[in-house]
Amino acid sequence: MTRGSRIFMSCIYWAFVLYVFVPLALMILMGFKDSKFIGFPIRSWTLDWYTGVFDDGAVVSAFGYSIAIAVLSTLVSILVGTWIAVLLEGRKFVGRPVVFGLAVMPALVPGIISAIAFRIYARGLGIEPGMGAIVWAHAVHNVPFVVLVVMARLSTLPKSQLEAARDLGADPMVVFLRITLPYLVPAILGASIFCLLLSFDDFVRSFFLGGYEPTLPVLIFAKLRSGMSPEINAIATVALIVTAAIGIWAERFTRRMNKDSKP
Amino acid sequence: MPSDAVQTRTAPGTPDTLPFWGRMTRWSPYRAVVNVIYGSPRRQFLILAIFPVLWVLTQHLGPMVQMLRVSLTSAYPVAPDTETYLTLEHYIKFFGDSIFWQPFFRTLAFAFVFTFCTLVLTYPVAYFLARHVSRKNQMLMLLLLLIPFWVGEIVRTYAIMILLGNTGALNLVLKTLGLIDRPIPFMYTSFSMGVGIVYLTALYMLLPLYSALEKLPTSYNEAAADLGAGPWTRFRRITLPLTLEGIGSGCTLVFLISTGFYATPILLGGPSTTVFAQTIAGFFHTAGDQWPTGAAFASIMFAAALLLTVLFQRIIKAMRKGDTK
Amino acid sequence: MTKLILNRRGFIGSTAAAGGLLASPAYLRRAHAQGSGEVNIWTYNDFVPKAFKEQFESETGIKVNVRLVDDQGKQFNLLAAEQPNPTVDIMTVAGHRFLQFIESDLLAPLDTGRLGNWGNINPTFSESDWSTINGEKWGAPILSGMEVLSYNTDYVTAEEAQTWDTLFSEKYKGQTAYIIQDMLSIVMLMMGYDGNFIEYADDHARAAEIMEEVKQFMIDKKPLVRKYYDGGAEFQQMMVNQDILLGHSWNGPAAALINDGFPLAMSIPQEGSYGFVYTFNIAKNAPNGDNAYTFLDALLSSPEIGAAMTKASGFISTYKGADQYLNELEKKSTSFPEEQLANLQFFRAEENELKYGLMDPAVEAIKAA
Repeated sequence: MTRGSRIFMSCIYWAFVLYVFVPLALMILMGFKDSKFIGFPIRSWTLDWYTGVFDDGAVVSAFGYSIAIAVLSTLVSILVGTWIAVLLEGRKFVGRPVVFGLAVMPALVPGIISAIAFRIYARGLGIEPGMGAIVWAHAVHNVPFVVLVVMARLSTLPKSQLEAARDLGADPMVVFLRITLPYLVPAILGASIFCLLLSFDDFVRSFFLGGYEPTLPVLIFAKLRSGMSPEINAIATVALIVTAAIGIWAERFTRRMNKDSKP
Repeated sequence: MPSDAVQTRTAPGTPDTLPFWGRMTRWSPYRAVVNVIYGSPRRQFLILAIFPVLWVLTQHLGPMVQMLRVSLTSAYPVAPDTETYLTLEHYIKFFGDSIFWQPFFRTLAFAFVFTFCTLVLTYPVAYFLARHVSRKNQMLMLLLLLIPFWVGEIVRTYAIMILLGNTGALNLVLKTLGLIDRPIPFMYTSFSMGVGIVYLTALYMLLPLYSALEKLPTSYNEAAADLGAGPWTRFRRITLPLTLEGIGSGCTLVFLISTGFYATPILLGGPSTTVFAQTIAGFFHTAGDQWPTGAAFASIMFAAALLLTVLFQRIIKAMRKGDTK
Repeated sequence: MTKLILNRRGFIGSTAAAGGLLASPAYLRRAHAQGSGEVNIWTYNDFVPKAFKEQFESETGIKVNVRLVDDQGKQFNLLAAEQPNPTVDIMTVAGHRFLQFIESDLLAPLDTGRLGNWGNINPTFSESDWSTINGEKWGAPILSGMEVLSYNTDYVTAEEAQTWDTLFSEKYKGQTAYIIQDMLSIVMLMMGYDGNFIEYADDHARAAEIMEEVKQFMIDKKPLVRKYYDGGAEFQQMMVNQDILLGHSWNGPAAALINDGFPLAMSIPQEGSYGFVYTFNIAKNAPNGDNAYTFLDALLSSPEIGAAMTKASGFISTYKGADQYLNELEKKSTSFPEEQLANLQFFRAEENELKYGLMDPAVEAIKAA
């Protein structure tokens, strides 16, 4: 790679960083505006919006609720999606295209339709609106993303590795657990990020399948009715910081655990 | 932490993991399970297939059958004391009126264009990350890039409004620099919409591209360079073909997401950027409730998106086969 | 790569535990919410004043569960999907959408005899012609809204705001915005037609002809408009960002801007405009019907409560004497000169089927043009 193209690449990278971070910076900044509406010019500043977030029980509980839903639905999606991907990739059987079509279907249906369809179907199954119903709808909706990502990775798994393991006498279960699954981990990880994100940001399914307890996006939508206030920016900022802090803490924590357990 | 649990997670092939797996494979209940599952290829396939097939039939198909049923019913929700009948009229409505074709094809065109733009924009970013950043920092820089995507779509979209508005940050900067006298109207154009939409799609492109580029051995490129291949040739003949899988999966994800765009085009688009999801939502939101029409239109969109996705997967597969030959 | 995976797994595990702890009390509350001592309400943010809610709960022992909604359509869909055993007792319906709810058999008629404080509502709202359908009352009016012309007073003069024509003038090209559906009714008024379609109930051909003319007008004027918008928050943001200088809006979002000190004013132009009323309605088969009546009666008990709703939403209170609890700015942002109010009429729902049957395709055609 030549020096010139390297510099060019790094310029694009930093331009991209700028592009994704500028709106974020504006969002954080607007949380300090002493007004009921965001936007320039900012004539006076206040900390009230930020301190208010922690006093608002509804926001705190909505945040916890959203996180719990995101994590639970992601676990379900990953399990089901990976299973479907393992079934579909590299196998030829009658009805495979149908199963593939059905597997990616939930991602192809516009949000409002799928939300209403889920709601009617949930009632048929006797699922009460609430946390369970939201987790179920998010899980189903996110499965296609897992299937696609995991299948793509699985298709590049070198056959030689599997054969070598089998030649060494490993049974198929061990081959799957020790070769295939570890190979899939980066894809599963990426897919988890998609799922967590899609669930955490979902409004329409959460609205239709939820009960009287709002998720964070549902609460934000309701607040938006009375205007885009700096309050919403403060809520989003605090939610972002808390999520990031949990992530970093967990990363550090597990890294230390690993270190400790290794001689 | 029990030592077994740790060992199961270390990389395969390290000698200290053998005791666990050795013990495991000799454990009789485990052997029994393996024998049942892998007794014959046929049984193995059935056991593997039964759960996914049941899942997609009940969980994926169920709600959609509901949608199809609504789309074929004359009226829904059913008002009291009225008879409903099966009908195709809601589908005919789409094909019979050209005002619906425009948002439909616009959505597909947008989906193509934005998928392409996202690919072109994020490929260098992923390439830079995977090839020019030291291993140690890669994950950190990637995670850093992911942070802004955790902000909800709506809040982020309003942040873009105060970036691009007439009194927004960008116009403010340009004015302070003396480059403009009057604000440039960035908002409510294809430009502002694009700025918002790439935010929705970049992540879904970036991660597959990164994971494809990251496992690409540098030795290939070096070997090619030794043989005298220029940078462009190396990219075209080595990097691109070997990352086709990542490109394919990224493009499919972005395309799927693009066909369902709703809030961002509404908030950032102009008077002439209506997308099909808006048209569909309209049938559910307007006073004259027309669920069946909305459901029929959604079915049409669904069929089109599925068809294109399958087609696209075929093309990528064919291209990869062509390369390995 | 392996290392990162471990970390991620750990991350997911620990957040699940933390999230579970935070969310469980709320989830338990929901599970409890099946007994008799409660009332379930779907409403907009701030429509039920917090202080009132707390006082009501402590005095009656009835727990108030509020589910926030952001849009009439979604509320309708949700209720329709819950049919015939809704989880809701009281919901907030915009007056002109009554009929849709009633025709779908989602509402219970309101027995005003059970509301001792019904008389506290200004008769303009409680006794007007739109509020009685099929010989029954269907809801308690709480707030009143209207379609107004809002303008940035630094750039647009009060004279210019006397007519809707300004919204379509070359002078403000690219600096206006409106909601298409609402604007279609207003353009009908501008052209001297009946935007409620009552006059054309027996002449559907004439109605179609008029809608065609109005549609053509809107398409001709499309190059002048900056944005067709949907929600009040969008309108407010366009004003703050100066992406627009004038536009059609509801009075509530505009009043909120005025109360925040933004140089904005509203007018009801001489061609006239439409008003609508938000009502609290009791759902058919409401699980806690008696509590719903207790709640409504308490809500109507004092004009101070009405004033609190106005302060939060910017819409005009339907309570007699609510304005005495408003400050000067709030009074200004919720009152109009008599001669302007004379131009106002209410949206009517009787011919909605005819109206929206013609209007929905027109909206699509305008967007597609």
